[in-house]
Amino acid sequence: MAAVSEGFKTDLLGSIPSLRAFAVSLTQNADKADDLVQETLVKAWDKHESFQPGTNLKAWLFTILRNEFYSQMRKRGREVQDSDGIMTARLAVHPAQHGQLDLKDFRGALEQLPEDQREAIILIGASGFSYEEAAEICGCAVGTIKSRVSRARTRLQEILKISGEDEYGPDAISSQVTGSNAA
Amino acid sequence: MNKETLAGAADRRRANSGDPLGANSEIGRKLKQYYDELVSDNVPDRFAQLLRQLEQAEPAQKKD
Repeated sequence: MAAVSEGFKTDLLGSIPSLRAFAVSLTQNADKADDLVQETLVKAWDKHESFQPGTNLKAWLFTILRNEFYSQMRKRGREVQDSDGIMTARLAVHPAQHGQLDLKDFRGALEQLPEDQREAIILIGASGFSYEEAAEICGCAVGTIKSRVSRARTRLQEILKISGEDEYGPDAISSQVTGSNAA
Repeated sequence: MNKETLAGAADRRRANSGDPLGANSEIGRKLKQYYDELVSDNVPDRFAQLLRQLEQAEPAQKKD
């Protein structure tokens, strides 16, 4: 077995912040997330020879992390939530007022998404992956990722009571105006 | 805090193409805020230690 190169090791170290962010997004738990990252690093180290230099290391690592996450969930006998779960019933978040959506509320809403939707919207909307890369990471079709992202977005809007159209609407603007002279 | 992240670049591309998760979308913005906060969290020492251990545990390589 060839030694792990310095470059690989440096890149591995450099991707830890992203891996942790993705792991927290998946597990919704900081301790579990760090254990997951640790497992991922060990696995990546062991199979470093299967990584093709010049390809996307981050995507490769995310794939390992994701596989590890789902295999741990299966081991624990926990059913992987599917998209048609009963999540929408739990609408505990207040409506977003004048676009002032609290990060805590957002986190709560994200938590209510089924795993497959949550990971899709994180990979696409936050981690900076393309739909093609996300599909590869999740081992599914590009169209599947697209539909999961779309469902995730719709569901987040429902939970947070954001209407789909207010992004360019008068609300966003008027809240800026009223928000600035609240004295 | 001005991190020029991959996500930032993707964000701009999307904003231009009217992508539903772009900078003009409330969900898109929150998503990035949520994630950037996680990414900027300090990395615990255990990970650097782990990599050192993995390195030391590697089978000795031929030195020549």
